[in-house]
Amino acid sequence: MADGPLPLDGPLLAIAVEPAPFDPLQSLAAWHTKLAAALGDLPAAESHFIGRVRPTAAGGEALSALELEHYPGMTEAQLHTLASAAAARHGATAVLVRHRVGRVLPGESIVLVAVAASRRGPALRCCQELLEALKHEAPFWKREWLAAGSSSWVQGNTPL
Amino acid sequence: MAASAQQGVCIQVRLFASLREATGWSEQLVTPATTARTPLALWQQLGLGPDEPPAGVRVAINQRFASWDAPLTDGDELAFLPPISGG
Repeated sequence: MADGPLPLDGPLLAIAVEPAPFDPLQSLAAWHTKLAAALGDLPAAESHFIGRVRPTAAGGEALSALELEHYPGMTEAQLHTLASAAAARHGATAVLVRHRVGRVLPGESIVLVAVAASRRGPALRCCQELLEALKHEAPFWKREWLAAGSSSWVQGNTPL
Repeated sequence: MAASAQQGVCIQVRLFASLREATGWSEQLVTPATTARTPLALWQQLGLGPDEPPAGVRVAINQRFASWDAPLTDGDELAFLPPISGG
């Protein structure tokens, strides 16, 4: 069957670990095109979270870059597992996750989470839950590089 | 003899981020020194830190989170993961 929406047997998951900078708005536009092709119409509700690198380190110094390390293979698999579980729990239709690795500069996007669902409640709750889950359950490690050239590994996450 | 019980058992051990930098290596094949083939036993055998691993350090076997006392078998990939900081 060449035309028409594809049959779905679960949420649509789009997961990517990105070694290069990405534009979150372009990512969303491309995702909408794929969703429309798969579903016919876009779901009624959608929530987005875009995380960008702060200009300061945890200690308040000027940050020159964040370095993101990951566990190739496990990180992608874990993102899929977390997205699938969150989508199932909230009845979401589709989930998009893009997460940077490598050297990320202040102001650059580090993470994008988008959730499409039939209502705002599931869309918003699923997005927040998935974001918190990936911060704690997907193997990424941040290292802060300061302008002076020193660096240190970040212990844990910033407060909600 | 304990050593013979370990013959042919090889575990691929991987370290990341601060653990990798503290030890100076990222992966190596390790033969368990005792019949206790668990992440905790290998953590202690390799001297990766205090005998009681610090809170926040986690373990993955074949790229899935696992417990410190999970059984390891020949050919497993074992990773020690320092505290995660994503997003």
